[in-house]
Amino acid sequence: MPRKFGPLAALVVGLGALPESAHAEPPGHADGMRDRYGWWAHSETYAALFRRALLPGPNGSLVSTDTVAPFYEYASLGATDLDTALGKDSLDIELGLWSRALFGARDGEPLFDGDVQIANARLRRGPLSLRLGRQQVAGGAARFVRFDGAELQAELGAGITANAYGGWTVLPRWNELPQYAHLGAAPDSLLRDSVAQEPAHRGKYWLTGGRIGWASAERRVGLSFHEQREPGGLARRNLGLDARAPLASSATLGTTAVLDLERARFPDARVWLDTRASSVADLSFEYLHTEPALFLSHQSVLSVFGSAAYDEAGSLATLRAGRNLAFDGAGFAQIYAGERPGARAELAGRWVAVSPQTTFVRLAYARLLSPDNGYHSLRSSLSRSFSARFRGTLEAYAYLYDKAIRGYRASTVYATTLSFEPSPALNLLWGASLAHSPYASLDVQTEVRVSYAFGPPTRRGGP
Amino acid sequence: MKPSSLRLLLVLALSIAALLAACAVQNPARFPHLTHLVGLRCGKPGTPACLDCNSCHASSKDGARLASADPALCVSCHQANPRVVARVIERPAPVRAHIAFNHDQHLAMKELQGQCVSCHAGVVKQGVAPLPPMSECFTCHEHQAQWDSGQCAPCHSAKDLARTLPQSFLRHDQGFARHHGQVAIEDRQLCQSCHTQTDCAGCHDVTQGLSIEQRRPEKLESTLIHGGGFLVRHAIEAQAEPTRCARCHTPQTCDSCHLERGVSGNLPGGRNPHPPGWVGTVATGSSHGREARRDILLCAGCHDQGPNTNCIRCHKVGGFGGNPHPSGWQSTRSPTDSMCRYCHE
Repeated sequence: MPRKFGPLAALVVGLGALPESAHAEPPGHADGMRDRYGWWAHSETYAALFRRALLPGPNGSLVSTDTVAPFYEYASLGATDLDTALGKDSLDIELGLWSRALFGARDGEPLFDGDVQIANARLRRGPLSLRLGRQQVAGGAARFVRFDGAELQAELGAGITANAYGGWTVLPRWNELPQYAHLGAAPDSLLRDSVAQEPAHRGKYWLTGGRIGWASAERRVGLSFHEQREPGGLARRNLGLDARAPLASSATLGTTAVLDLERARFPDARVWLDTRASSVADLSFEYLHTEPALFLSHQSVLSVFGSAAYDEAGSLATLRAGRNLAFDGAGFAQIYAGERPGARAELAGRWVAVSPQTTFVRLAYARLLSPDNGYHSLRSSLSRSFSARFRGTLEAYAYLYDKAIRGYRASTVYATTLSFEPSPALNLLWGASLAHSPYASLDVQTEVRVSYAFGPPTRRGGP
Repeated sequence: MKPSSLRLLLVLALSIAALLAACAVQNPARFPHLTHLVGLRCGKPGTPACLDCNSCHASSKDGARLASADPALCVSCHQANPRVVARVIERPAPVRAHIAFNHDQHLAMKELQGQCVSCHAGVVKQGVAPLPPMSECFTCHEHQAQWDSGQCAPCHSAKDLARTLPQSFLRHDQGFARHHGQVAIEDRQLCQSCHTQTDCAGCHDVTQGLSIEQRRPEKLESTLIHGGGFLVRHAIEAQAEPTRCARCHTPQTCDSCHLERGVSGNLPGGRNPHPPGWVGTVATGSSHGREARRDILLCAGCHDQGPNTNCIRCHKVGGFGGNPHPSGWQSTRSPTDSMCRYCHE
C-alpha cells in the first residue's frame, strides 16, 4: 500500500476550512414535484496534546518523555438518488476517509497517516444494483472485510435476494510498521530491518463470495459463501448459514453458523432465542460453539497447532420498572475443552429520566472468570443535559483483579465530557480521563472534538 | 488508608452520587387527560361545560400540529392551586422529529369520527406513549414501495432523519447491538435507508486512527465493547473469550498496539512476557504447549510470522520440540502446500 498520505491528509484537513455552502435536498422537495436527491457532508476534527513515556522501557530501562500533538480529521460525504443515463434516482456515491497529523512524532513514526475507508458508487436499475469501488462485506460466511472491487445485488422476486462480490482485500496498515522485528531464529535477524522485508504483493490478496437469501414478513434465511486468498494460497473458505423466525408472537429464534469447508469444522455457531415475556420483561438465551484456531488464516503455521474448542451458554434479561428504571442482567458460562470453566456475569441498573434536562444513570456490577485470572467491576455512569445544547457526562470504574497484575490488585478509571451544540450542524466536545492501572501508574488523557455537518444531513452522518 | 483503597472509595462515592442524582430528577407529571375527558361532572346545570380535546388543543394554521393548552384555561377552574397546574402542564422534552401530518384532515375522516384517542390512546391509557408509533400510520397508509426503497421523505423531514431512531420496528434498544450484524445482512436495503457504509466502518474498521469509544466518549447509553476503561481489563477479556476478539481483529492487532507503546517482545530488546518454565526442557517439561492448544489465537498475537516464527525452530520435523499437531490431526492439504513446507522440508 502507498505510505505517503501527506497530500491526502492535507486535503482532508482542508475540508474543515470549507464554508457551509449547500443544501442537502432541493428546495421544494416536500411537494414531491421536484427531482428527489440528497447529499451529505460530515467532518470531525480531533485534537489532543499530551506527554508520553514508555514505562518501563526495554529491559526495564528508564526512557525519556516526549510531547506529542495528534490531530485527526474524519470526513464523509456522499449523494443519493442521482439521475444517470441508466435511469432516474439510479446512482448513489459515498466517500469516507480519515487522516492524522502527528506533531512531535518520534524518529520512524510517520508525520502523516490516514486511509480511505469507503469510496464507492452504487448503480441501481430495477431489481439490480452494482457497487463499484472500496466497500465492505460483513456477516454470513464473511467477517467484516474491506475490499476494492465490485458487488452485484439482485432482487429475484418472491422475497429472494442474491448478491456476489469480488475484489482485492484492503490490507491492514500495520503490516509495514517501522521497528517491527520478527520473533525468529538468529538467521532471521536480517528481517529485523523493515526495509529488508519483502513488500506485500497487493494483487495476491483477493476475495470473493456471495449470499442467497429468502425473506418473508417475519422469516429470514440465507446461505452464503466467502473465500479469501493470500500470497501463499487459500486463507479461508467458509460457508455460512443465517436464519431467523418467530416461534410465537413474543419469541424469535435465530441462528448463525460458519463452516470451514477445508477443515470441515465450525469456527463459530450460535443459536439464540429472544422472548418478550411481558411488557416489562425481555429474556434471551444464547448458545455458542467456537474454535479459536479456525479463526486463523490457513496460511498461518499456528493454525495447525491448536484444535481446542469452547462452548458458551447463557442468558440476558431486561426488566423495566416503570417509565424510567430498567434492570439488565446477563450470565454466561464457558466450558473449555480440558480446562476449568470460565464465566461472566453482569447486573446493571439503568435510569433514564426524560425531562427537559434528560438524565441517564447506569450502575453496573460485573464478574468475569477466565482460566487464569478474573475481576469484579463496579461501573457508574451519569449523563445529564443542562440545557437543550449543553450536556455533560461523568464515569467512574473500579476493577478488582483475582490475581495481582504486576503487583496491582485494582484499577480505577474516571472520565468526563462536556459538549456544546451551538447549532444543529456544529458540536463541540471536551473530554478527559484519568486512570490508575497495572499498565500505567497514572494515565491522563484529554481530547477536543469539533464535529460539523455541511447543510442539514439526510443520513445519520456517522456512527 | 492505602491510596488504592481511597481510589476505590472514590468510585463508590461517585456511584452513590450518581444514584442520588437519578433519584433527585423528577419527570413532569403527566396531565390527567382521562379525568378531564370523562371523569368530570359536566354539562348539567351548575356544572362546567364538558371538555373534549379541542377544548384545550387547537389546530395550528396548517393543521400540522396541535397547540399545547394555554395555562390560563386551567386556571379558569383551578384557581386554588395555580402552581400545581403550572407544574402539570410543564412542556415535555422537545420532540426533534416532525412528521408531515394534517390533524384537521384526519379528524374529518369518517373512520375517526373526530376522535383523537383513536391514534393517541396513550393520553387516556397508562403505559402507552402519548404519541402513536409509526406502525399506527401503516394501519391505513400503505407505503410498501417507499419502504422498500428507503424513501422516508416527505412524511419525515429530511433534516430530522439524522436523529431519528426506529421505535416500533427494529427498535434500536440495548439488545439490538447483539444481532445487528445479522439484521444488516438480512435487511440490508432497509438499513441503507438511514445508514451508510461509512457508518459501519466507523466502528468496524479496526485500522482507523481512533476507536469509536474515543470518537464518541459521551455515548454512555451505548453498549460499546471497548468502553469503560477497556485497557485495564483487555488482557483478561482476551483470555476469557478469544474468538470474541478474533471476530473483528486479526492477531496482528495485538502486536501493532503493543509495538506502538513499546511493550512488545517483538521490539529489539523487548521484554519476554512469559513466566519461568514457559519453554522448558525434555526433563523439566514446559507449559506453553498446553496454553497453545487451548488458545492459539493468544500465541498468534505475537508469533504469527509465517516461516519466520520461532515456533518452527523447535517444532519442525526433526526439531527437539516434537510434533505440534493435536492428536488425531488429519490434513486435507496438498503435500506441496507452501505453509506445510515451513516444517516438512
